[in-house]
Formats: sequence, C-alpha cells, structure tokens
Amino acid sequence: MTDTRPSFAEIEKKVRAGERLTAEDGMTLFHEPNLLKVGALANEVRERLHGDRTYFNRNMRLEVTNVCMASCLFCSFAKLEEHMPGSHTMTLDEAWHELETRMDNPPSELHVVNGLHPGLPFSYYTDLLKGFKRIKADIHLKCFTAVEIHFFARHYGKTYEQVLLELREAGLDSLPGGGAEIFHPDVRSRISHDKATGDDYLEVHRVAHRLGMMTNATMLYGHIETFEHRVDHLLRLRGLQDESLALAKAAASNGGTEPRGILQAFIPLAFHPDGNGMKNLPAPTAVDDLRTLAVSRLMLDNFEHVKAYWVSSGPDVAQIGLAFGADDLDGTIVHETIYKAAGSNSPSGLTEKDLVRLIREAGRIPIERDTLYRVVKEYDKAAMPEAALKVRDRKAEKHLSILKEIVS
Amino acid sequence: MSERVSTKLRVSAVEYLNAQPLYLALAGNPDVELDTALPAEVARRVAEDETDLALMPVAAAATIGDLRLVRGMGICARGKVRSVVIVSERPLEELTEVSLDLSSRTSVVLARLVIRHRLGGKEPKYVGRVAADAIASIGGTTGAVVIGDPALRIEGKPAYTLDLAEAWREWTGLPFVFAAWFGRPGALDAAQEAIIQKAKVDGMARRDEISDAWAKANGRDELLASYRSYVHDTIRYDLGDEEAQALARFYEEAHKAGLLPKAEVRFFDQDRDDVASGSKPAQRQSLDTLLGRAADGERLSAAEGERLVAEAELFDLGLAADAVRNRKHPHDVVTYIVDRNVNYTNVCTTSCRFCAFYRPVGHPEGYVLSREVLGQKLQEVVDAGGVQILLQGGLNPELPIEWYEDLFRWMKKEYGLGLHALSPEEILHIAQMEKLSTKTVLERLRAAGLDSVPGGGAEILVDRVRRKIAKAKCTSEDWLGVMRVAHQMGLRSSCTMMYGTVDTARDRIQHLVKLRDLQDETGGFTAFFCWDFQHESGVRIEAGDHGTMFYLRQQAVARLMLDNVAHVGASWVTQGPDVGQVALRFGADDYGSVMFEENVVSSAGTTFCTNAGAIEARIHGAGFRAVRRNVRYDWLNEPS
Ligand code: SF4
Ligand code: SF4
Repeated sequence: MTDTRPSFAEIEKKVRAGERLTAEDGMTLFHEPNLLKVGALANEVRERLHGDRTYFNRNMRLEVTNVCMASCLFCSFAKLEEHMPGSHTMTLDEAWHELETRMDNPPSELHVVNGLHPGLPFSYYTDLLKGFKRIKADIHLKCFTAVEIHFFARHYGKTYEQVLLELREAGLDSLPGGGAEIFHPDVRSRISHDKATGDDYLEVHRVAHRLGMMTNATMLYGHIETFEHRVDHLLRLRGLQDESLALAKAAASNGGTEPRGILQAFIPLAFHPDGNGMKNLPAPTAVDDLRTLAVSRLMLDNFEHVKAYWVSSGPDVAQIGLAFGADDLDGTIVHETIYKAAGSNSPSGLTEKDLVRLIREAGRIPIERDTLYRVVKEYDKAAMPEAALKVRDRKAEKHLSILKEIVS
Repeated sequence: MSERVSTKLRVSAVEYLNAQPLYLALAGNPDVELDTALPAEVARRVAEDETDLALMPVAAAATIGDLRLVRGMGICARGKVRSVVIVSERPLEELTEVSLDLSSRTSVVLARLVIRHRLGGKEPKYVGRVAADAIASIGGTTGAVVIGDPALRIEGKPAYTLDLAEAWREWTGLPFVFAAWFGRPGALDAAQEAIIQKAKVDGMARRDEISDAWAKANGRDELLASYRSYVHDTIRYDLGDEEAQALARFYEEAHKAGLLPKAEVRFFDQDRDDVASGSKPAQRQSLDTLLGRAADGERLSAAEGERLVAEAELFDLGLAADAVRNRKHPHDVVTYIVDRNVNYTNVCTTSCRFCAFYRPVGHPEGYVLSREVLGQKLQEVVDAGGVQILLQGGLNPELPIEWYEDLFRWMKKEYGLGLHALSPEEILHIAQMEKLSTKTVLERLRAAGLDSVPGGGAEILVDRVRRKIAKAKCTSEDWLGVMRVAHQMGLRSSCTMMYGTVDTARDRIQHLVKLRDLQDETGGFTAFFCWDFQHESGVRIEAGDHGTMFYLRQQAVARLMLDNVAHVGASWVTQGPDVGQVALRFGADDYGSVMFEENVVSSAGTTFCTNAGAIEARIHGAGFRAVRRNVRYDWLNEPS
C-alpha cells in the first residue's frame, strides 16, 4: 500500500500544474512527515486564489434548543430530554430577544443550529425566522444544519424540498455546514448512528443548491476516524461540489436567471473530548489541525474558501492556519456554546478589532465580508511593519471565476 | 534615527595607539562628534546605531555585516606587525594549548587561520583568557596570542614569537588589514568622507607627537623609540587595492573555516558611484542563497539575520530552522523536563514596567515562601518524578546571602533535586547588597548546592530597550558578565529573549548576536527560549511586535542565528501548548517543563497547565519521539 502511494514531489508537481489530486495523493499528504512542506504547498494554492486577502464577518451564533433525540457520541451539547437538568429550549420571545439586545451593533449574519427536538411544532421554526427578519430585515439567516433539515423532513412528514422552501419562505437564506461529522458509514454508524446519514446530508445540500441556496460544509475530525476516512469525506464533498458547479454553470450559460447554490466554504472542525461519550480520546493537536486545514485546501480544488474556525482551534492556531491554506477566520460569533460545552478554552466571542489584529499579525489583509462573501469593508495591510510577513504584491482575483459567474 | 537632532557625523574609534593617527585630527572638528572606546564597545555602537562611522576591527565589522568602508585608509601591515603575535617557549608544532585573548576577535581569527594553515588543519586546544592570564599561561607546550601594548612590551623575550601579519603574508603574499573605517550604507556623504581623509593626512604628519604622548601617558618612556617606529614603519595606514584584496581574502578564509559570517569588501564611494551612474547596485545575494546558507548552519551576520526577518516567508524560515534542528539533533527526538518553577519571593525593588508579579517592600501582598510551603512544593515534585527546581524571585533586599545558602543546603539535603536557580539579576542584587563579587556569590551559592543558572531577565540585551522597559534593571553587559563568570566556573545556563515591547528587528538580532558572541567565548549556554511580552493589566507598557506567527518567525530566526547553541526550547508556557507544539517544527528540539508555576508570567494572565502525558502526546503529534531530560539535556530514559 505504502509503496504505491505517490511521492510528495509528484503531488507538488500536480498542484502547481493545477491538476486534481486523488485519494492516494491525500494519503501521502496526511502521512508526509514534514508538516511545513504540506503547509507551504497549501499556502501556494491559497495565495493563488486569494493572495493575502483574508475574510471574516460579523456574525452571531444562537442555539435555541439543546434538546435532541439523537445521541452522537462526540456531542457535549445536547440533552436528551426536555426536562433533564441543563436542558434548555428558548421561547420565541427569548430567542428574538437575543438578537434585539445586539441591535446597537447588529451582526450581519445569524447562525442558528439546534438539537433535534421532538416536541416542537414546525411553525416554531418558521415563526422563529420570521421574527428575526422583523427585527432586522436584512439580516442573513444561516440556519439549521442538513441534519436538522433531514430531521424536519422525517418528523413533520415533508420532503427536503418542502422543508427548505417553507423555511426560505419564512426567511432562511443559506445553510450552515454542521452535521457532516465523518460521512463514511463505518465511522458514522458508531458516532452518530441515529441521525442523517452521510448520503442524507449530501442530498439535503444537493436539494438546497438546486433551490439556489448557498451552503457550507464541515468535517469533524480527530476522534475514531482514520486518514482514509478523512480523505473519503473530502472526496464526497468535492463530488457534490462538481455536480452543483456543473448545474450552476449550465444554468448561467443558458442565460437562466435562476440562481444556483454551491458549497461556499469548507470548515474542518476539531473534535473536543470533554463531557461527551468519547472523553477518553485525546483531542487532536495543533499540528493535526494545521495539517488537516492544509490537506483540505489541497484536495478541495473546487471550493473557494477554507475556514480556520477559531472557536475550534483557538485564535492562535487559527492565525497560523492562515498560512496553512485557510483564507477565512469565520466571525465574531459573540456567543458560542457547543465547543464550550466540550471543554474548549477559546473565548466565546471576538471583536472585529481582535479579528483584524489576528489577520494583520499574520501579514494578511483583513476583509470583512457578508455571508455570501461580498466585501463589506476592506482594511489595509498590517500597520506593524516587522510583524508582517514579507511585503508582497500578490495579484489575486477578488473572487474565483465560478462565484463571479453564479452570484453576480 | 529619527531621535537624532544633531547633524554632526558621529564617529567612534578604538582608543589604541595605532589608531590615533587616523582619528586624532578629528577632535575639535565642529562637524564631527568623536568618541573612543574599546573595540567591542565601538562595534556595539555601530550595531546599535549609536554611531555613524567607526574605526573598528575587521572581524567585528563582518559580524555586523553589510557595512561600507572608507577608501584609502586602514590599520594594515605588510610583513611584521609586532603587536599581534603568538608567543611560546616551544615551536608552534609542539604546542598543545594556546591561550586566546577573546576581546580581539580579528586577532583570534587570524591566529586560528594561520595555525590551521601551518599545521595542515591540526589545531591545539584553545582556551579563552584575559590578557594578563594569557601571558602568564605561557610556558611548556602552552602558548598565547598576545595583542597590542603587551606584545610590544615582551618583544624579544620569549623563545618563539610568530608574527601573525608576517605569517599571513608568507601564506597569501598579501598585506593584512586589522581595522578600517566602517559604517552602514549611506552613513557618510562625499563631503564627510573628505573630512575623514583630511584627518588622516594631518595624523600622518603628527605620528611622532602621537607616539611620544602615548609613551608618556602610559609611563613607558623606555618604549619611546619602539612606539615611534611602530606607527611610522610597522603600521601602514594606506588601504589600496592590494589591501582591499587582502581583506576580501581574509573574509573568505574566515568564512570557509566557519569563523566569521560571509562578508564583502565594499566602499562608500562605490555606492555613490552606482547612484551617480544610475547603474544597478552590486549584485546582492538572493534570498534563496541566504536561506540555503542558513539551513546549512553557516554563521550569519547581523545584517543577514535582519534580512531574513524582513524578507523571508514563514515556511522558508521554518524549513531552514527545521533543517538546522535536524542536523544538530538527528534522532527526531524532542526532550522535556519534569520540574517546577517556584517563585520564593515577590518582593522586589526593581519595578519593571512589564512585570505584574512584584510587590514593593512592605506591601501587604508581599511574601517570602516559608520552608513549610516550599517543602510541600518540593515534595510534590519528587512525588511526580521531577528532577529539578527552577527557583527565581524578586530582588528582595531583606534576604541576605546566608538565607540563600541555608535554603539551598536544606533543599539539597531534604529533596536532592537539581537546583536551577537565580537569574543574573538576582545574583547581581545579592552581590551588590553583600558587597561581594559576582564570582564570590556564585562560588558560595554553588558550594551550597546551586547547579545551574536560569537565563531569565535577559529581555533584550540592548540598553536602549532595557532602560525603557526596566530602568532599574542591570545593563546588557552586567547580564552577560554574570553569565560569563558562571560559565567560566563551569556552571551551565540557559538564555532567553523576551521581545515585543519597544524592541525593533535590529535590537532582537543584536540580542542574538550578543548571546552568540558570549557563547563563542564560553560555550556555557545550553539552550535558548524566547517569548513575547505578555500584556495584561498591572503592566505599564504597551505591547509591541507580537502574535503567534511572529513568535514562530522569531524562534526560527533564533535557531538560524545561534549556530553555537545546542538547544532551542519551545516556550509553551507563554504561547500555549498548541503553539508550543507547532514551534517544534520551527527549530525547537525541546518542549520545556511539565510542571508549571511561573508567577511572573501567570500573573500577567497567561496560565497554561499540562502534564507529561499530554506533552508526550503533543510531541508525538508533531512527529517526534519524546524523552525526559535533566538540566544538562542528558536523556533520562529511552525515547518513546
Ligand atoms: S451533534 Fe447534533 S444531532 Fe448529535 S446529539 Fe448533538 S445536537 Fe443532537
Ligand atoms: S521582572 Fe523581576 S526584577 Fe522586574 S519587577 Fe518583576 S520580579 Fe522584579
């Protein structure tokens, strides 16, 4: 097996020639002993796509209920039943209030993910969205993972399409990437046996794209999965993106005005072991975080963005991640509870100033974006001459051509 | 230098007899600010931008790097120089040991090159000694390199005298250039250069007067004639094409032998000619070449270090540092130590602006740990399989040296742990308080159980920076001086750098060069650690350059500059265990300490805790095997 694996030098050549990497290539990258070589190669791709431009947004996270019928082994957030200690379900007023209290410096995006609560009517969710839009008409609602959409479909006897259309009608703008975990059934059946399968997840995103919704994708790594499983996961996402891009391009070239959705960003998420069913496992280390970012950037040649999610890795490692393939730090978050529950030491929110500083210290150019990666504010480059990396004048397109074709 | 108001040319010169004819006529010139000092101090002023032009030894100029020369003059010799010699009772081939006066790097490098050449690569043992000790050591198969006045004084007395300039000429057919006028590119315009040229003409005419005055001032009337002929006939003050070629040859040989950074001979007027003719400046080495040389472990000049900081990409620095680490420690093993940091008192008279830990004398929160508390802490270390205590504290005026001696004896007797204790600042404090020499203090403490000296408090070894962040702290020279004494006694120490206050890239490189210079002398530093100033309330200074990426770059550059320090440790205590792990791929081969109680850092808000299992997991995760070590970096078990 090992001797059939391509060498790192061959992969380097392929990447520089813009060729697509194979599963075997992915394995070589995960096994390459020299982390910095993998990072440097991913950085080449990142700089080819984005130069020094590095994105963040002003977002806010909300979990309206942590009651969940599923029992994912890695989850420290969900409480099985309504009245268990620590369980909490917000009333609609409480949920809306969370946004209202932030209206003095309102976020541009609201990111809502929840447990799979068996006792709420579907109208709870549609009302929830409508209420948010009432408070702030132009807020971007990025709500409900594919796992929740799948649950809604099953629980309320609807198709994915019906669920998505009804939620869109109520104000839903795009889907977050959570719930992907590891697609491979060998792993998924052990860590998340009672929720959407990998295929279900991909199908929800497929339908969402067809309906013109943008979505994100994630991977929860560093628990019981192997490198093969990670590579498999990345390739499944790449496959879906190929399909969605092809449809989007076809639609665009037919002169159709029908918008098409694609996967915008990939976000690798590190498993955190506290307070969940896998607490005996060690958490993945920073070196694994950086390598996974880099390999993701290299394998996912049809994704425009790869995010270093600072909540998962901590702001320091996320900053290093900006040299290992990531071009996005996610956002201000304000209020994160899921990783907190799993023992993460990251702060629960960062200010815009913090994010700008993190990006500048890495020698990059901070760009505040909206959820669809439209530029809100462009900052200038680091004001710290010696902290910045070499002063480069990289020519990078503002957006990948694919997005230009589809979104604009 | 924006702080400067004066437009006068700041000129520094070595205060030796042979230099005076070149600079003495500058005294009183209204356009010139002249000062004189010992060679090391002159070099420091150039490196730290405190002077514009310096008459300085050529080796020091190579260490700074990328300097320009004034054409036409230097302190040179064609044949005998008389003042730079190897003297011995037996012929060179029979010598087993040669004493070196380490204050003169140019002479030391020349001596080593000549010896290698004469003995076909064979070398005796070199021992660094101050001038008087070096002369005293001559006898049997021990010789000494003797420099300057002492050399003239013992002229003709010892059985064997090898004149090094003459030996160089026999070898290369070239003259030798000992010193010349150097400055940073653009430091001097044509009009100013003319002033320097004119001073030489005046000085040449005053040579008798100068040498007579020197003899008188030094009470050496008997050497009057000798001095006169020395500055008239022996020393040549012209630096022509042949001398320039000779200097280039010296730089090349020294670089080949690994004794000096790669250096070029380039004159101020060449830069000016390039500008005037609009031609491209002389070919600079490419960044890739520089990175390649760094990765190969070549000695880098300060200028080259600065260039790496300013221009090299993160990954290139990391890969080069990783290559150096891999060559120095080829087993892919990362060490760590199980120890504990105990701060025995927080009472301190210094009040550094970056310190949130100290309390002034009499403050209700001030403490001195009791034996009881200490004993409990030490027992915990013993129980956890720890091997060492790192003991540091504030500068508490109420603790006499006997207090430390008793404490050390008690700790050694009861717990038997390694004692890595008292940074230079504390040693100096005790010495001052007790009116004892540093050496005596160290000797007494060693007798009481001191095993090694921690390298804390180095901050940035540039006094301009030190004065701003910690007025009352010891000077750079003081800090290095304590380490020199400790190393000469056979004690080992670590060395550190705390950056990120008012320091610039040049300051940080200069810090590394100072550590490297002392290491050349003593070899006493075991390891280097760096971290950024931890900003927090209670601290009265703004944070400067910092950040995680910056830390990784800084550590990588340190690994590349400190070619003579064996180990570089990741500072996970300040940077966090995650960044500490990543740092293992940026040149570090050590993960520091497992047990943690570092109040000076932790009261500034940085508190990280980890245990041996977690440390080993991280070491493995970074692709290394892990092994426990002691303070001398001996492996205590098999790596796993
Ligand atoms: S991960 Fe999501 S689906 Fe799984 S238990 Fe937690 S909240 Fe429920
Ligand atoms: S850093 Fe050390 S010397 Fe300075 S105030 Fe703090 S305890 Fe005292």
